[in-house]
Formats: sequence, structure tokens, C-alpha cells
Amino acid sequence: MSKLTFERPIIQRINAGLPSKYGMPRRLEPLSQIDGVSIESLLQEFGSPLFILSEQTIRKTYREAYRAFSSRYPKVQFSWSYKTNYLNAVCNIFHQEGAWAEVVSGFEFQKALANGVPGELIIFNGPDKSREDLKMAIQHQSLIHIDHFDELYDVIHLSKEMEERPKVAIRVNLDTGIYPLWDRFGFNFENGEAGDALTRIMSSERLDLVGLHTHIGTYMLSTDAYRIAATKLASLAVKLERKYGHLIQYIDMGGGFASKNTLKGAYYPGTDTAPSFDDFAEAITSALMSSDIKPDHLPMLILETGRALIDDAGYLAGTVLATKRLSDGRRATIIDAGVNLLFTSFWYDHDIRPVAPVSDQSEDTTIFGPLCMNIDVIRSNMMFPLLKKGDRFVVRRVGAYNMTQWMQFITFRPTVILLDKEGKPHVIRKKESLETFNSQELTPDHLKDFDL
Amino acid sequence: MLKLKSNVAISESGFVFDAGTGDSFSLNATGLEIVQLIQAGKDFPEILKILSEKYEVDPESFERYYYDFVATLKQMNLFVHHGEE
Repeated sequence: MSKLTFERPIIQRINAGLPSKYGMPRRLEPLSQIDGVSIESLLQEFGSPLFILSEQTIRKTYREAYRAFSSRYPKVQFSWSYKTNYLNAVCNIFHQEGAWAEVVSGFEFQKALANGVPGELIIFNGPDKSREDLKMAIQHQSLIHIDHFDELYDVIHLSKEMEERPKVAIRVNLDTGIYPLWDRFGFNFENGEAGDALTRIMSSERLDLVGLHTHIGTYMLSTDAYRIAATKLASLAVKLERKYGHLIQYIDMGGGFASKNTLKGAYYPGTDTAPSFDDFAEAITSALMSSDIKPDHLPMLILETGRALIDDAGYLAGTVLATKRLSDGRRATIIDAGVNLLFTSFWYDHDIRPVAPVSDQSEDTTIFGPLCMNIDVIRSNMMFPLLKKGDRFVVRRVGAYNMTQWMQFITFRPTVILLDKEGKPHVIRKKESLETFNSQELTPDHLKDFDL
Repeated sequence: MLKLKSNVAISESGFVFDAGTGDSFSLNATGLEIVQLIQAGKDFPEILKILSEKYEVDPESFERYYYDFVATLKQMNLFVHHGEE
């Protein structure tokens, strides 16, 4: 007769009284497959920890977002936000779907060019554009979104020097009724600075003003803020037409749509509170359609949303290294992926689950990463099943920012794989090695040897 | 030897009530089996033998989980301290 599966013995204090604000504890369902592929088998083949991306989910999410906007507005264009996830394979999925590239640095600009994006379909945002970066963008006839007057004058100088006519838009920050006001990007609308910048561009007669851009914030849960922003940008476009007879080609509403992750301290889970693409689309397109822009002059609507397009498609799977008890008796589970890989755990209560069904029981658990640092907490105080050393876990919705903001600290960044539409895994970024780092270092001759 | 406090009642379903403090607890199935064996006066080697015949667990892992579990019971004040009773 085969033996029974062993479950770690536990005892839990029963707290009588009303349930907490989170309600009764619910059972955490295991997640053993992604697109029909066993997570355990992927970990065995590619090692632990492992980032897993689903091509199917990326395409599905993109199409859902595109449909939401294109069914409401005549000219819609998405532009993939490179900083959210600039793994080439990921960028190319979006480019195959029809998205342009939105970059915020010279490095990202070069990455987009190397991926084969035509220069004129690259939007160059961000506060840091060196003269060299600007030259490169002007040569490629890219869309330069000017962030401040210093940059505007740089572009005007370069246009003379290079005898080119750069294509520019201005970045506008505005009061959309949300707090905090994101006023660090671009020119302010309310104090008239945006109007001054437009006047300066028009009077220079050397720049081709093609668009207006705004980026009102990140993880926005309010669609009304987008409605206000779109209304204000539309009013600028109307002023331009009235004053200079100039028609802009596009209005770029930036990104910032919330994903379904739950922010720390949020009362309800993100799956319940994040607006849908249809909600965002309705707010933005209705504001543009009802503005004073003449119907036959409606500009193209560009969207640079990153987080909401990629977060759901990313998973981080790994292994439990150890469990221990904390001084107050709470359980601590140490896993092989820390805040170095999961930067977003600083602001999200990530959805983390066991890969295999282990137990109906759960314990109040704090989940720590493997770093030798006190801040390395992936989840504090969550009811979690009784995982033991060697058991597997998976974190959902990690596609945005983690694969660009990850830190190399005391260990290597792991393999990233992409499951294609048929569920076939492809390595899209190799695990780093000692060689990866040593190849970047130079040791002076007098420091090469030592006797101990 | 480990001994549960006399005013601690344990039901067949793993519900634990400490009449001395009014606290109640719940045990999972493995936890209940171990507590019942401790109550029956079994020591660690005997408990290990019984449970490793029944469950898929190696002695080393069992030892770790056993002592961790016992430490939790002690922290919850369910055992008799030396010199009491």
C-alpha cells in the first residue's frame, strides 16, 4: 500500500469575533500551468527562479485594448513603452501587432532601431535626451517630445546646425484633479507655459509641430483624470488651429493605466478596482469627440500604455528555500526570488501561489526573498498554504517593470522564457553568469596578484 | 517528557480548547495525530516510527517539522512547565 502525502503539522490560534476587513480567509488555489504548460516542468528544464511570459496573453491583451479604442475613435495608434519591458522578443510581439516604439533614453532608442522599428515611428520621451541622442532622433525623423525649454532650444540649435526640420511635440502637464499632480514632465498647462512653448516653436519656423503629449501619472485608477487631460489637450489643439491655422497630427495621451495588481494598503483587490480598457477608452475618446476640434480634423490618438498591456502576461516561478518561525510565532517562508527580481513588491501585494496543491490549511506567513537584507520582503502577513523546502511557488502579474528595473545583487538574474502561441517555450534572455560581469570589469596590473 | 496541560481539551476533529486561558486553537490532521501520540506518552522515536510508516516523509524532514511544531505548542503554552502540576 502506498503511503499518504505528508503535511507539515501546524496549530493555529482561533480568533473569535467578526471577520477582519478582508473577510474570512479564503483558500489560495494553486496555479500549476501557464497556457497549458506545467510550471514544474519548466522549472526543471530552465532552472529556478524563472521568469515566464505568455505570448498568447500579450497578444490577447493588446487586441482587447486596441479594440476598446479603435471601436470608439477613427484613428488610433499604440506605441510600446520600452521601459515597461524592453526584452526584444516582447517588443517585437507588440511591433507585430502594429505598435510603434515609445522610448525615454538613447539606449532605448537604439534598442528600438536595432529591433527594426523605422525611425519615424519612434516616439522619444523623457527628460534626459543628450545632444547626441537628439541628433540621432532628428536624423531618423523621429517624433521628439520636448520636455523643457533647455531641450527646446537644443532642438532649435540642432535644426540650424543639421539643416533639418525636426518633428516635435510638446509634453504637457496639467491638473486633472488627482493628487499628487505630476508636474515634472513637460510644460504646465494652467500657468500658460505650454502655450508659451507652442508659440516659441511656431515662431521659430524651424520645427515641425506634429503633436501634443501628456503623461498624467502611473497606476491611475481614475478614468475621469484622462477625460480632463484629453479635454485640455484638445483645447490647445483648437487654439493652435485658431491662432496659427496649424493642424496637429496627433494627441498622445501617454500611459499610466492601472493593471490588475493590488497596491499595498488598498482596501479592495486590483482585480475589482482597476478600470477596464473600455472605461479608459470611453473617457478619452468621448472627450476628444465632444471637443471643439472639427470632426474632419480629429488628430490621431496615440496611447503609450505599458503596465496594463504586459503585467498579466508575466509570471515569476521559483522554489521555497526554507521555512522558519519568527519571534512571535508567525511563519516565515524564504523563497529564491527576492526584491532584486521583484522590484514591484515594494508597492504591490503580489498574488503568489503554490504550484502544486499542498494542503487545505494555511498559516499567517511572511514571505522573504533570499537576499541578505532586511527589506527583502515579498509579502508580509498573508495567509499562505504550508509550503516546505523544495516546494514551488509562482507569482502572477509581474510582466511590467520587473524585467527592466531588476537589480543584479549577490546573484545572477535568471532565465526569461516566452511561451509561444502553441505553448512552446523559448529562452528570450539567458541567465547571467560570472563571465557576464567579469567581462565588464578591468583589473589594473598591480592588483592582479596577491599572496595570502 | 512532554505533557499537555490537564485543562487542555482536544476534540477528534482537531479543535483545541485551553480552559485555563479561554484560548482555542485548531490542529491540522498531522498535528492532531502527533498531539494524540504525545498525549499517549509516546516519545519522538516512537512517533517518528508510527508516522513514517503511514506518510511519505523522510526522517530528517520529519524531525525538523516535529521540533518546530512542538516549539509552537510550547509558545502557545499548551505544555506543562517543569515544576507545575
